[in-house]
Amino acid sequence: MAATTLARLSRKIVTASTHRNQLPQRAFSTESSSAAADRVKWDYRGQRQIIPLGQWLPKIAVDAYVAPNVVLAGQVRVWDGASVWNGSVLRGDLNKISVGFCSNVQEKSVIHAAWSSPTGLPAETLIERFVTVGAYSLLRSCTIEPECIIGQHSILMEGSLVETHSILEAGSVVPPGRRIPTGELWAGNPARFVRTLTHEETLEIPKLAVAINDLSKAYFSEYLPYSTVYLEVEKMKKNLGISI
Amino acid sequence: MGTLGKAIYTVGFWVRETGQALDRLGSRLQGNYYFQEQLSRHRTVMNVFDKVPVVHKEAFVAPSASLMGAVRVGQGSAIWYGCILRGDVNSISVGSGTNILDNSLLHVAKSNLAGKVLPVKIGDNVTVGHSAVLHGCTVEDESFVGTGATLLDGVVVEKNAMVAPGALVRQNTRIPSGEVWGGNPAKFLRKLNDEERSFFSESTTDNASLAQGHAVENAKPFDKVEFEKVLRKKFAAKVEDYDSLLGAVQETSPEAVLPKNGLPDEAAKSANK
Repeated sequence: MAATTLARLSRKIVTASTHRNQLPQRAFSTESSSAAADRVKWDYRGQRQIIPLGQWLPKIAVDAYVAPNVVLAGQVRVWDGASVWNGSVLRGDLNKISVGFCSNVQEKSVIHAAWSSPTGLPAETLIERFVTVGAYSLLRSCTIEPECIIGQHSILMEGSLVETHSILEAGSVVPPGRRIPTGELWAGNPARFVRTLTHEETLEIPKLAVAINDLSKAYFSEYLPYSTVYLEVEKMKKNLGISI
Repeated sequence: MGTLGKAIYTVGFWVRETGQALDRLGSRLQGNYYFQEQLSRHRTVMNVFDKVPVVHKEAFVAPSASLMGAVRVGQGSAIWYGCILRGDVNSISVGSGTNILDNSLLHVAKSNLAGKVLPVKIGDNVTVGHSAVLHGCTVEDESFVGTGATLLDGVVVEKNAMVAPGALVRQNTRIPSGEVWGGNPAKFLRKLNDEERSFFSESTTDNASLAQGHAVENAKPFDKVEFEKVLRKKFAAKVEDYDSLLGAVQETSPEAVLPKNGLPDEAAKSANK
């Protein structure tokens, strides 16, 4: 009995002293008032995955895997079987972004759409089905036709078009308005033609996308439909004396 | 009617309690592999002992960005999603009206082959492109660092210069005003023409207005987000074209309409052409 009261008292003292010593920047976002002053304080919610802008709400298909630290903002559509991996940013604020069926956008990619494209192609970023976009790549207002592989750390500038069954090597930089023809392998900065792909290689491309789709299913199954973070929030609020 | 409501409410509670108990049971079944979700400990603004980031009130800092150490962000600047500004050993200062686009890395290191450790200074109205990597360099006002560029120690990008996308600018390179450098290693490509110069200031203002929209959206408290979800569902079924074909006027609530601040003015653009 004495032990519990002692514990309760000590906890109260600890919380009171931590309140005094807390850095002035820390505050819970639930207590914040105006938007301007509190933008950079610590938010226990972290970064929201889906950021609607006005009436544009990013839509994720039911069986698509989108990692929790991905940021989807604005007009983004992630279609069935697609996956967007950790750390990517899909910012569809100026124009639409669409990740097609069974495609994947790998880690830390940034996909953005410009307002208008120099070639006159629609300025939205359109990634069609069975496309593998490698890690750390940057896509800006480009169109990627079905069944392509974009290598890691590649940069596709505005208005570029990657036609079906083509492969871009890692690290390639595709200048604005460049068209990569069907069935070819391009590489380099700026991207240059290397060779055409053999038929066997062309068949491998959708297999890669499907393999990554299978992998994403394993990740998808790790996440519960609803987060259980509310249990932690309640524990924390109890410890800090905030009434639930 | 009150008792029926109360009864349903209580039954709902029982179902939720059962659900939570089942959740605990399931967690126990998972045993060692049970994952307990933690609150996000990500700190957007983090101090390293006495080096505290100073961010202007009107700057937009995305929640998933990380500003660590001695970082100064000026007025009207925007640090977009996933950026990392690590000013732990030396300082980073970002001017006003500057945009550090998504996923960039601004970095100062403790040791350098040459022995000097340089701060990172980004001037005003600069656009640092997506996924750029800047390491101990200086970027002066009104310049443009392209997407995916890597700028190593001691690089100075002068006013109105441009680093092409994907460039790798080697140590201590000085990029003179009005020139475009690119490639790996970066070489002089061509001189900037006027169209590109005006593009820089356009991109600054465009990004600034976009930043406003994102800032407002990210700062929304939980209830507002939920409320807007409901609003959106309500207006989702109505497609604009359908109604206009019928001649009906659709009433959308003011919150559901995107503020046009992010989109460049179409009329002005066509007039300028």
